[in-house]
Amino acid sequence: MHSFTSSFKLKIKIASFVLAFFLLDFSIGKFLEQGLFRYYGLRTDSKIAFVGHSHLMLGLDKKAIEDELKIPVSKYTREGVNVAERDLMIDQLSEENPELEIVVYGVDAWMFTGEGLSANSYKLFYPFLDQEAPAAYVKKEAEFLDYWQHKLIKTSRYNEGLISSSFRGYLNNWDNLKFGVVDTLQLKLNVESGNFRQINSSEENRRIFEETLQKLKEMGKRVILVYVPTISYYNHAEPEKFRKELNYFRSLADKDSNIDYLEYLEGWEDQFNYFFDPIHLNPVGQKAFTSSFATDLKKILQDGTS
Amino acid sequence: MLFNSWEFVLFFLAVLILFFNLPQRFRVFLLLVASYYFYMSWRWEFGFLMLGVSFSNFYVGKQVAKGKNKGWWMALTSFISILPLLYYKYANFILESVEDVSAFFGKPTALPSLEVILPVGISFFTFQALSYSIDIYRQKIEPEPSLAKFLTFVAFFPQLVAGPIERSDHILPQFKEKKYFNWDEGIAGLKIFIWGLFKKVVIADRLSLYVDPVFDNPQLWSGPTLLMATIFFSIQIYCDFSGYSDMAIGVARVMGFKLMQNFNLPYWSSSIAEFWKRWHISLSTWFGDYLYIPLGGNRVSVPRWIVNIFIVFLVSGLWHGANWTFIVWGALHAFYYLVEFLGKQGMKALGLISVLGSPIYKSFKIPVVFVLATYAWIFFRANSIGDAWYISQKIFQLEGGLWWGSSSVTSLLSIALILMLAFVQFGQYKGLVGMYYRPSKFPAWLSASAFLMLLIGISLFGVSSNAFIYFQF
Repeated sequence: MHSFTSSFKLKIKIASFVLAFFLLDFSIGKFLEQGLFRYYGLRTDSKIAFVGHSHLMLGLDKKAIEDELKIPVSKYTREGVNVAERDLMIDQLSEENPELEIVVYGVDAWMFTGEGLSANSYKLFYPFLDQEAPAAYVKKEAEFLDYWQHKLIKTSRYNEGLISSSFRGYLNNWDNLKFGVVDTLQLKLNVESGNFRQINSSEENRRIFEETLQKLKEMGKRVILVYVPTISYYNHAEPEKFRKELNYFRSLADKDSNIDYLEYLEGWEDQFNYFFDPIHLNPVGQKAFTSSFATDLKKILQDGTS
Repeated sequence: MLFNSWEFVLFFLAVLILFFNLPQRFRVFLLLVASYYFYMSWRWEFGFLMLGVSFSNFYVGKQVAKGKNKGWWMALTSFISILPLLYYKYANFILESVEDVSAFFGKPTALPSLEVILPVGISFFTFQALSYSIDIYRQKIEPEPSLAKFLTFVAFFPQLVAGPIERSDHILPQFKEKKYFNWDEGIAGLKIFIWGLFKKVVIADRLSLYVDPVFDNPQLWSGPTLLMATIFFSIQIYCDFSGYSDMAIGVARVMGFKLMQNFNLPYWSSSIAEFWKRWHISLSTWFGDYLYIPLGGNRVSVPRWIVNIFIVFLVSGLWHGANWTFIVWGALHAFYYLVEFLGKQGMKALGLISVLGSPIYKSFKIPVVFVLATYAWIFFRANSIGDAWYISQKIFQLEGGLWWGSSSVTSLLSIALILMLAFVQFGQYKGLVGMYYRPSKFPAWLSASAFLMLLIGISLFGVSSNAFIYFQF
């Protein structure tokens, strides 16, 4: 009888421990998810959303744009997202933000290059496994056990980067923290020695991008493609390929009245003190660029043209 | 199959359920099959290699026990056991060294390099099998009559690929005992496993995100960055290896087996000699029993003793890897050991023996030993002697900025985790926090809360599956 009682007590303790784990996991997971929604501007009444990877993330100051335009905007930018992931991000935004009218899509000459961006970028959507579209995407890409671990244990969907973003969401903090200026001497040496990311656009990526633009058009959402400055050393590393990509973006805007294209290269690419590294702006560059972009965006919204 | 994978969790659950539900006579066969399955999940071919080494030691062990020509039999089994290790681990190193030596003497020779893949854990199972034959040779143990039990002893999956290197007189009797599932032991084992997992996936793997790019191209980085990477590696290697040992001990304990403690807070040592009593204990004692003592130990002349010390540390370095960096690492520790010994003798001669035991002197020496061990790790981690030499000088030049990693949040978290580890280990050092087979002095609810937080910490901050550093040895 004594043995039965102590064994029963032990089992109750183990069950309590497991329950406490899942309760804590659920609470922390929900808390972090809400913070991320705030940070990325999901589930808001924003009319404009910025979509892109770290290039756009560090290039645009969300608060400054909101102050200038006097409307709420969402900045849903993730490190390392390819065109396929951006398509999914737009689906998420369309589903979660019913007021959305304009998508500002960050573009660059390397966005159709298959290599270099993470093959595991589906992992970026772990925090959104409770939403239908991201869950379906992750299920398709991830291994069985990997998927179910993240589905069942909410805290496993996060890492310190996402936790930091979640807390920044609660603190309304979107500051660019990449202080410092690119080492142009080293960069020049790298480019001369061929040590730089090359432009190798894939037709598959281009097709996905065009399908995203078409989808946005069909949903009645206007598109503004924005080329945030990249440094001249990088832009001129493969001048022909680079020019070809720019011409492609320009042609999209020329062909389709639903698309505007804003390019910030001339007068920007040689402002070396604006760059943290070849493609990312530092806070000084971000401030200057945001100011210029906000003026142009305001003009587009008022005039309906670029 | 890594301990920090869901595949292992499922595998272990299946083994555990079967183990406690099978009649005693079948259990060892279950462990044998499970252990070979575990090992062969890396590369199935190497299972036969382990089987060959095991057979050799089992049958030759019987011959050695008979006493006739036992020296020859011992030499034969040592040769058969060490041959695969020499081929897979050291052949290319030997060939490259011959090339270097011939080039040094002005007669460059190009030798072919062998395309070999190092079998996981070969150094561990070779040493474990060999210790059995040596113990029979020394008449310390009787030969094991059951082939199945002996094969299981060599292949026992919790400690197969990265130790602890067990002795037959400790493990074989445990295979003969009937095990009953015990919740208390099971929970104690899980706690050890969780702590090991935390050290591995939260601390070690996170630190490697900083350490790897810096050590892979040291010339690109400033002195402060190299210094930070060196300190990080010191913690990384500890958390990686002791994390694996903890998980091995924990897994075995859930099944009712007690493995030896492999780490005992080595960075809290107040001397290099003490460090080696606390770091990779199963290997240190192996070298002590099977190399240092046969060489004469300290019962020889002082010059011979110094040679013995150097031999043991150099072989220990070579055991870790076929590269001159490991040999220099071993030599550096031998040098530390001898300088420390001479310093101690000098202090005794000066009548300062009371100082040696004073708590202030001891607390001064703990950070000194950590710094010395950390400095030596540079040679252990660097890709070449040239890189190691460069780093070992550059860390003293505190010029240039400190790189905060590809994510400063990750690096700051790494520092916070190191401080947390130090805090927990201080509690263990003082005997307050539980450790291996010693219970915690805190109330059960507090201990349970701490493990709850560790689990959440693993879930939140665990870095995805990286192989363990010590698998390569």
